[in-house]
This record gives sequence, structure tokens and C-alpha cells, in this order.
Amino acid sequence: MTLPRTQKTSRAPGERPAGDPPAGRSRPRRTSPLLGYLLRRLGTSVLLLLGVTIVTFALTNLVPGNPVAAALGEGAASNPETVAAYVKRYGLDQPLPVQYLTYLGNLLQGDLGRSLATGRPVTTDLATAIPATLEIAVLTIIVSLLVATVLGTVAAYRRGMVTDQVVRVVSLVGLSLPTFWLALVSFNFFFLQLRVVPGSGRLTATLTPPPTVTGLFTVDFLLNGDGVGFVDALAHLTLPVFVLSLFTVGLLTRFIRTSVLEVLGSDYVRAARAKGLSPMRIVFDYVLRGASLPILTIVGIAFGALLSGTVLVESVFAWPGLGTYAYNAARNLDLPGIMGVGLVVGFIYLGLNFIVDLLYGLLDPRVRLA
Amino acid sequence: MRTPRLAAIAFAAVAALSLAACSGGNSAAPSGSAGTSGGSLVVDSGFTIETTDPGHTYDPTGNMVAKALYETLVDFQGSDVSTPIPGLASWTQNDAATEFTFTLEDGRTFSDGNPITADDVVFTMDRVKGMTEAKPNFLLTGITVSKVDDKTVTFASEVPLLQLPAILANPALGIVNSKVVQENGGSTTGTDSAQSYLDGASAGSGPFVLESLDLTSQIVLTKNPKYNGDEAAAYDRVVIRNVSESATQQINLRGGDTMVALDLNGDQVSELGTDFTVDSVPSGQTIFLLVNQDPAVGGITSNVDFASAVRSALDYDALLELAGSGAAQATGVIPPGFLGALETGTKQDLAASKAALAKSGYDGSTVKLQYPNDYPVGGVEFTPLAERVQSQLQAAGINVELAPAPFATELDSYVGGKEAFSMWFWGPDYADSANFLPFAPGLKVGLRAGWTADKNSTIAGLATAAQTSTDETERKANFTAFAKAMQESGPFVPMIVPGSNIATAKSVTGAVYNSVWTMDLAELKPAS
Repeated sequence: MTLPRTQKTSRAPGERPAGDPPAGRSRPRRTSPLLGYLLRRLGTSVLLLLGVTIVTFALTNLVPGNPVAAALGEGAASNPETVAAYVKRYGLDQPLPVQYLTYLGNLLQGDLGRSLATGRPVTTDLATAIPATLEIAVLTIIVSLLVATVLGTVAAYRRGMVTDQVVRVVSLVGLSLPTFWLALVSFNFFFLQLRVVPGSGRLTATLTPPPTVTGLFTVDFLLNGDGVGFVDALAHLTLPVFVLSLFTVGLLTRFIRTSVLEVLGSDYVRAARAKGLSPMRIVFDYVLRGASLPILTIVGIAFGALLSGTVLVESVFAWPGLGTYAYNAARNLDLPGIMGVGLVVGFIYLGLNFIVDLLYGLLDPRVRLA
Repeated sequence: MRTPRLAAIAFAAVAALSLAACSGGNSAAPSGSAGTSGGSLVVDSGFTIETTDPGHTYDPTGNMVAKALYETLVDFQGSDVSTPIPGLASWTQNDAATEFTFTLEDGRTFSDGNPITADDVVFTMDRVKGMTEAKPNFLLTGITVSKVDDKTVTFASEVPLLQLPAILANPALGIVNSKVVQENGGSTTGTDSAQSYLDGASAGSGPFVLESLDLTSQIVLTKNPKYNGDEAAAYDRVVIRNVSESATQQINLRGGDTMVALDLNGDQVSELGTDFTVDSVPSGQTIFLLVNQDPAVGGITSNVDFASAVRSALDYDALLELAGSGAAQATGVIPPGFLGALETGTKQDLAASKAALAKSGYDGSTVKLQYPNDYPVGGVEFTPLAERVQSQLQAAGINVELAPAPFATELDSYVGGKEAFSMWFWGPDYADSANFLPFAPGLKVGLRAGWTADKNSTIAGLATAAQTSTDETERKANFTAFAKAMQESGPFVPMIVPGSNIATAKSVTGAVYNSVWTMDLAELKPAS
């Protein structure tokens, strides 16, 4: 994640830095810096995505093994007629550079190819897998941010005290517990023993999935006016979100605590206290706002990781998301599938990076001015 | 930053999740459970399916679904795959076993109400033959299908083919409604494009019709209202869910979220207790060791004496401990339950092993054992099994280094005959012992071990005799002789036939394992 150029300062956010032109004074006229910035970022992103395709294509083809044998299975792979027809159908008889250029040509038309493992267009597969993961990731990041903000801030205010130690232990435990183990134990405890959450999957088996609009079951049920389906879909999200949140909370809490500690020692916070502002206002308007930039960076990274790396949790909860799709594609040497996932993950990180950079400007005018 | 507002939103999300979780916990049990007629049946399975087009189906989950949607000319009763019985048709054969005449049952209809005719049978077979890229295509190699009249069809081959009825029981050869399929791109000329249609709707005569297919999460079948055969569905709706983690399947079953779990291993079924019914039987798969006979690949170990030394060195009972419920020792390349299978397997004999090892010329060098480490078969993980083999061979004086690799990368070198010493598995494509003849010298699996026909013409002859038998008694004797000779002087060491465990809630009856289609969904009924 790109960190913006910032400087250590004890000014409150929004305060005009020394040397900057005062409001109202005329500045040299420039041609839309925002547009230039966007174009530069777009160009860099395209080059990075191109790099992703080259690296993914090269690495996948370097792996020992035959994707045809992997896709057909050992029975059909021994039938020369079937192998020949399969190779021709997927263009695997072409030299690698030709295969790559063909892939790029199709990519420009929005065609990610046909999965060797499922036989379906990769775009169709991803259109199902991405929303499933997105639904977990968004809720996880919201829940984690809330909990970690409270824990991190309290720990910073109570630095060195028992509360701080407890929060640090909680954070460490969240980071250390193996996710797969935690998922299985939680599933056993909350579903089988306590019966407070439903079984695996995105929906109770006897319910029919909603008509696809966004692919997010909770949203689609709401759009369809189906309250029962919405509650059921939300209930199925609970445990995966809980398990993923434990790790993310652990990660965010440590960063938030450190950031808040830094801000607490700054002049403007001391000034705010001296003015007699209420503690809550100091926390929300001064401390958290001042600490938000590094928090935003780590939230972006955590969100990207959630979107691309939830394979173990998805496996335990039978969640048909991007992690599961990536795992199956890799396991089957499914080149188009692997390329598709690589592109999506690359796109996610570039997009998040971009959004975080924009938010920096929104949160801190100094970044805008820089 | 509107932090208080963000906090409020986040708090609302947590609160909503908590409330929804509690309400969800009460709705975990599926409807239509204990003691009800009709209703829904929920089945958990790790999906191995690419399509619901029977002509492209060649995977366990795919076969189970195709069996529910389409009927075949020939059938099996329950788990007995040794005796083909009439399905959509009854049959006769000529003395040379080269021509089989099938007569369709009267009055049978597809799910749209149209009658099943000989034209549908011929179209179905020719369509599969025309789709060269389809995995089941090889099933009909060398077979010609002809219509005699509206109710009669002949299948002819150049060579005797006593296994034809068993082949025709494969769900991939389920009879499709030729009119509907042709209207949606079906063809017999190799230009077929009906798969996408058949992934959204079924065109068969089975007890169920396809409601929806999601290859990543679930397949929903509903009762075929026009079904007029003798295996009518007991459930109105069947939901087959993709649950790849067997531990999750077990928890779902115990918690009442599913009624059938198909992939539990031996340890997991033993934890279920008496509240569940478990059908544990040996599957049709065999896990074996391969000793390559090509000196260029196998080097000093490329002889059958080394294979004999390995075969006698193993403690099969100890290996079986790793396989759990339902598993059995492999008595030969033909697994128990199939024609010609040997009654008893090899016993550990370290003296015989040492003698064979000395004869083989083995010099104590380290042998690499290659195997797929991410592809458990019937719940048997290959890595612990390989470790135990390594330990047992070490005790017999054979030094083994383990060389695991992912299935996808290992498969090519196995199929290409490039592995000196490896551990693999073999399962039948259809329910007949002819499926195991490829282990013979000069045939598919034999060649993977560098075992050309000239390296053992006696066994090659026994395989040919079994393949071309025209009489059932003679055929059984030939298969037995083949299996025995393979155990005595073949380059393969069959070890374990993993078990297949189908665990069901007490509210469901009739779940039995079948090595071709795993489970016949129409045989499942609510407990009375």
C-alpha cells in the first residue's frame, strides 16, 4: 500500500501550514492536477495489471505438470482422441507466446477465457465467487474496525495499565490462532453445541437463493423484499465474519493503539485538553482523526487480504468465494482460472490503493496541497 | 471524518449480525425431516461435477446427479454391481457376445410426457460417440448402435463384449430426449452444443428433474411428475450441497443441517454414535504401489523380484489401520466384489521379501517413492500411508525417500510412465472386471509401469483370454487366473481398497453405496 508523503507536525488537521499561500491569494494556474494524477495512476495500474498477467502466465506454465491431464483426469487423459480434441478446443496446441497474446487480445474484449476446471467462462465463475467473498469481507472490516478502534483507543489511553495489557493479549491471541482451527472449533461450539448460528453455506438448504442483482445475498434479498431470506443470509454470515474478525481485530488494534499513542502526545491534543473540551470530543474530533491516516493504510491492506485470502475459512463454512475458486484453479492447473484470479486480486489491490490515496486527501488537506 | 456516524453504522452491523445469528440458529434443521413423506432431502458432498449434461459426465457427483435425472438401458440393484439388471430395456445377446439386442420397456416417457423410443437411444449413443472431447466418449469405442424398430436397438462390436451391459449402466449413457436436445443444439456429428442447455434443464426420464445447478454451491432436483418407472422419488426436492470439508459435513449432520453426508472418513463415522446410520463398504478404488519395469526409468529396481520383495515386506493389517471403516485389504488388482477377485490377499513374509530382494540385485540405494499428497481417496490420506510404507520397507532393508507432489503436477509423469516407484489409485470406469485388465503388460496401466507386452506374454495372454471370453463361467476363471498371476509376478502391489462411508440421519433410510454412481437418490426414503 502506498504511503503518502506526510511530515511530522503538531498542527491540527486542517490547519494551514506555514509557507502555504493564504486563502484568497492567486496561485499559478495549472491544468487540472487531479486529472493528471488520475491519468498517471490509471497508466500505472494498466502496466501493473499487464505485469500480473505476464508473471502469472509464466509461473503457471513453469509449474511441472500437464494441465490437460489435470483437467481430464487420469482415465480420459489416456484417450488420445479426447486429449487431442480437448487441446484443440482450449488452444493449448499453440506456442506459449501465441497463447499469451491470444489471451491478452480476448482480455481487451472482457473475455477472461474458459476455465479448464469448470468448463465455464472465467468471468461467469468470478461473477459468482467475488460477491460471496465481498459479502464476508465488507462485514468483517466494518465489525473489525469498530471493535479495534475501541480496543486500540482504550489501550492507548490506559497505556501500561492492566487494560492495556489485556488488550494486547487479546490482540496477540487474535493474530496467533490458526484460522482453520478456529473456524472448526467455532463452528462446532456455536452451531453444534449452543445452536445459536445456522450450519454451513450462504443459505439454509430449503430456501431458494434470491434473483441475482448484486450477487450479495443480503442485498438481493432486501431488493426482493424477502425479509426471511435476508435474516437467514445474515445469520449465515455471522460465524465466518466472527472468525475472520478475530484476526483482523488483532491486526488493527495494534496499529490503532500505536497511532493513537503518537497523536496523544501532540501539541494540538494538549491544546484541546487545555481548552477544556470534553474527552469524547477530543477522542473523536482530534485523536482519531489525527490517527486515521496510518489506520486507513492498514485497513486497506486488511480488506485486500480478506478479499483474496479467505480460502481456509471458506472451506470450513462451505462458502463458494474467491479463495475457494483460486485454490481449485491452482490445484487443477487451470491457467485461465489462475490468470483470472490474479487479475482480480491485482485489480482489488490497485483499486484499494487508489481509494485509500483519495481518502488521504479527504482526511488531510496537507496531502491535497502536496 | 464522521467517526461517530461510522461507529454507529458498525455497531448496527454487529447488532444485526448477532440478532440474525440467534434467529438463524433456530432454523438450522431442514424441513421435511423425520418421518415425513415428501419434503426436502439435503445431501452434503464435496463436489466433483462439471456439468449435468450426461454426455459430458464423468465424475462421482456428476454420476450421482445424472443417475437421478436420466435412466440408462441397464441398471444395478443397490450396491450389487456384479449383476446387471434391466433398466429402460431388457436384452439378449448372440453366442459370440458381439451383438446385443435391447428392447425398450413399454409405456415409458420422458419428463415432458413424450415416449422413449429407439431413436432416442440411437441419438444418445451417437451423440456421445460424436463428442470426441467428452470424457465418456471412450465408453463406446468400437461399438455400433442401430435401430431395429421403434422399440428395439442393437449394439454390435468387432470383438466379444460381455461387459457391454455394465458399460451401458454408466450414467453418462443415460438416455436423453432427442427431440428436446436437438432443438437446443444437440448433434451426433461432433458439433454438439447442448451442454449449456442441459446445465439449466434436464431432458431425461429419471425420477427427478433439474431445478437449478450451481457448480460451486448447490444442485437442486425436484420430483419428476411424469415419472412412470418403478423407482419413483420419495422426496419432492433434493438439495445437494457442495461441502468440501468432511469435518464440516460431520458437524452439519450432527447438528441437523443436513441429512446425508457422503465424504466422512473412517474416524469421523466412528464418532457419530448410534443416532446415525452409516453404510460402510469397500469402494471400487484400489491404492497400489507401482514398480517401473523400464530400466531407463526404474534402474536397479526395474524387475518383478523387487516388486515381490515390496509385496511381501508390507504389513497390510497395519496399513489398513489408516483407512478406517469400510476399507479392506486389496487382494489383487481386481477389488473384492468384482468378478475374478481373489479371496485372500498377500500376507507379510519378511523372509520371502529378503530372498526376493537378494534376487532382484537391489544394492541398498535409496528409492524415491512418488505420490500425490493432496488427493485423498476414500478418506485415505496418501502422506501417512506413504510414511508407513516407508517405515515397513525400511525394516525389510529397502531404503525409501518420500517424494510427494500435488496431484496436478504428479499425474502427468505417472500417466507418462516416468515414475520409478510410486503410489497411485485406480477406480473402475464402469462396473465390470474388464476395467482392471489395463494393469496387464502392454495395456494402459501396465505401460505406466514400463511393462510392455513382451515382458510377460503369459499374463498378456491371460488378459486377452479374459477380455474375449464369451461364456460367463469361463470368463470368471480367466479373470481369476489373471488376478492371481498379477499378484505372483506383476509390477504392482495392491494395498488398500478404501471404504466408502455414507452417513445418514435416522430420519432417512435406503442410502447404500454404489461404486458407479455413489448413491441412488431415488432409493432414499423418509423413515416411517
